[in-house]
Amino acid sequence: MKKEVVAMLLAGGQGSRLYALTSHVAKPAVPFGGKYRIIDFPLSNCVNSGIDTVGVLTQYRPLELNSYIGNGQPWDLDRSDGGVHILPPYMREGDQGTWYKGTANAIYQNIGFLDLYDPDYVVILSGDHIYKMDYADMLSLHKKEGAACTISVLEVTMEEATRFGIMNVDEHDRIYEFEEKPAHPKSNLASMGIYIFTWQKLRQALIDDEADPKSSNDFGKNIIPNMLSAGEKMMAYRFHGYWKDVGTINSLWDANMDMLAPRSSIDLYDPSWPIFARSPIKPPHITGPNAHISHSLVTGGSQVDGTVENSVLFHSVTVEEGANVQYSILMPGAVVKAGAQVSYAIVAEDAVIEARAVVGSAPTESPDWGIAVVAGGVTVGEDAVVSPSAMVREDVKGGERV
Amino acid sequence: MNDLHGILYAYRSDANLGELTRPRNTCSLPFGGRYRLIDFMLSSYVNAGISSVGIIVHESYQSLLDHVGSGKDWDLSRKHGGLRILPPFSYAQKGGGEYRGDMAALAGVADYLQNIREDYVIMGRGDMALNLPVNKVLEQHIATGADITLVCTPILKGTPRFSEYVEMNEEGRITDLSIHPTSAANALESLRLYVISKQLLLDMVDYCSAHDIQYFSRGVLQPRIKSLKLVPYIHQGYVAQFQSISDYYQRSMELLDPAVRADLFNPARPIRTKDQSNPSTYYGPNAISRCSLVADGCYIEGEVENSILFRGVVVEKGAKVSNSVLMQGTVVKAGASLSYVITDKNVTVQEDRMLMGHHTYPLAIAKGSVV
Repeated sequence: MKKEVVAMLLAGGQGSRLYALTSHVAKPAVPFGGKYRIIDFPLSNCVNSGIDTVGVLTQYRPLELNSYIGNGQPWDLDRSDGGVHILPPYMREGDQGTWYKGTANAIYQNIGFLDLYDPDYVVILSGDHIYKMDYADMLSLHKKEGAACTISVLEVTMEEATRFGIMNVDEHDRIYEFEEKPAHPKSNLASMGIYIFTWQKLRQALIDDEADPKSSNDFGKNIIPNMLSAGEKMMAYRFHGYWKDVGTINSLWDANMDMLAPRSSIDLYDPSWPIFARSPIKPPHITGPNAHISHSLVTGGSQVDGTVENSVLFHSVTVEEGANVQYSILMPGAVVKAGAQVSYAIVAEDAVIEARAVVGSAPTESPDWGIAVVAGGVTVGEDAVVSPSAMVREDVKGGERV
Repeated sequence: MNDLHGILYAYRSDANLGELTRPRNTCSLPFGGRYRLIDFMLSSYVNAGISSVGIIVHESYQSLLDHVGSGKDWDLSRKHGGLRILPPFSYAQKGGGEYRGDMAALAGVADYLQNIREDYVIMGRGDMALNLPVNKVLEQHIATGADITLVCTPILKGTPRFSEYVEMNEEGRITDLSIHPTSAANALESLRLYVISKQLLLDMVDYCSAHDIQYFSRGVLQPRIKSLKLVPYIHQGYVAQFQSISDYYQRSMELLDPAVRADLFNPARPIRTKDQSNPSTYYGPNAISRCSLVADGCYIEGEVENSILFRGVVVEKGAKVSNSVLMQGTVVKAGASLSYVITDKNVTVQEDRMLMGHHTYPLAIAKGSVV
């Protein structure tokens, strides 16, 4: 059946800069903010914006993401018409099919899916940003201007502008130039990687791009500049509010810490724009007689008997008596045993920090300092030490130092 | 297991729950930080593989309907089977909508019973908190060749005048059933939770309907105690029943015991409930939380000790909560102090108020009140 809008969520990236955290899962499936995974933010935004048909393009390590999305029920995307669809690359007669070569190619390969719904507009999203946004508001600008493409932009400082794709606009916010990471930026409007296209315009642009053997089939590198040079009307939509790319260990840690100030970053408690998640069935968390918890998030199924400060605890986490957790992220099922110290660290799912082990440290002057990461399922043995910025993927024996 | 059908009685069954059941049926009484009582039996059914459940409701069931919805949080939103709510109008002809007893209620839904596809039926009450291994009950029922299996508990906590007790002989057969005695001398309390074959149940419903018999215990079990093979299934696990506000308070506080939690929240048989997409609970820089059970979505900047906090509770700076049960959406404003208090949903306690009950007589505050 025809839909006015269909959203396409690019979730195929490995997120290689998250290293150990994405060795088994795609980046959008990485846990975030105590209760969520990264993909919950764009998915919830879609539903809250009234978009009921979403394609999720997967490629790298899709199993956990597929099972997480399931039939889309937690996001009210289990629909008889529309709903959420996982779209992996597929075989075709003749050419045998290929992997998604780039972001634009991923959409190109799913032109058939979009044609099923014959949408007027397509929203292109990525699965690595934390933000709340009403795509309906962006769409109304797109429609009012009669644009071929509208790009959501964020005002950044001029220094930061050198790290982003920058949109140069006229007095009506019409984009006349796009510069990728300019050394001398002319504007401070950074692309957030959120696009709305008039579908028939994008459809043709994708077909033309695919015919160009030199193209890297990427929205930022090819589709946007090509449409711009073809004279299409392209608008900037100014977004105000919290937005964070969580593509690196530091930015992921940072964004989690931001959730500790919910009333100044993203208000997860705001009932008018809920972020939905597939929640495991867990009883409330429990605090012990000597628990000390301050400025932290704690989630169902956890047991806290030790000290937790400035940290984010996901579900089913155990912090034993005498353990000390500071400025850290403990993902689902993580265990910190008695006397262990975890600071400025990310401890991934089901990892175990044995008694008296030390993971990470408070910031030092040393240039080598950074967030320590313990990968999922890893055991850090008794009295072992995991240095700051270490990336532990295999078990650490008792007393060992890495 | 597709051979068992679940029936749940969701009647108002409270004796002295006062304020706590004024806005709702006992089965939708909030318990354990994030559950309603019906979640425990409903989850026990579903965890045994039961995929079709009928809930017989009678009055004050609006909050129950809102809670169970289509049954999707229990995986009971099905094309084949699933959750069926059986409201009283379907037996209006026989009783004019009046509740006249559990057998009369079944007679009112006779068409529904006829269409049960499974060979066995488990029927029970939705007003208790327990995590029952229902598949073991059925296994025992089949192994003993019982006509009816009665789930019983050896741990007596109910008030005798609201309870039923059984005696059994050496062969494990029930020889006596006493209903609402003045004292409980017997060692086994019947939880009024039965496994029975569908055929026998249908025969009994017909018989009772024809003879104007209203009650299962008094009208069927007692008179036929010799002719039917009645066998107890002894549930050794935790059982909470609620006959007074004080009961409610004591049972809530028992959840702070790790052994009780381990039994009731056995991860192999999780208790499911309506998903509300709450964020994690936030503790502020000066928050204190000790010996407490705290659900998701709370915002705690004050002190909480020996308490149960449901979803979305707010405890502001300088507020103190001890030995209390705060239901969903309770707001305790700055400087307020609560001790031995039960607040129902969406209660607001204003700044600097002091509320104090006693562990034998907790103070219950009605839904939506502003103190």
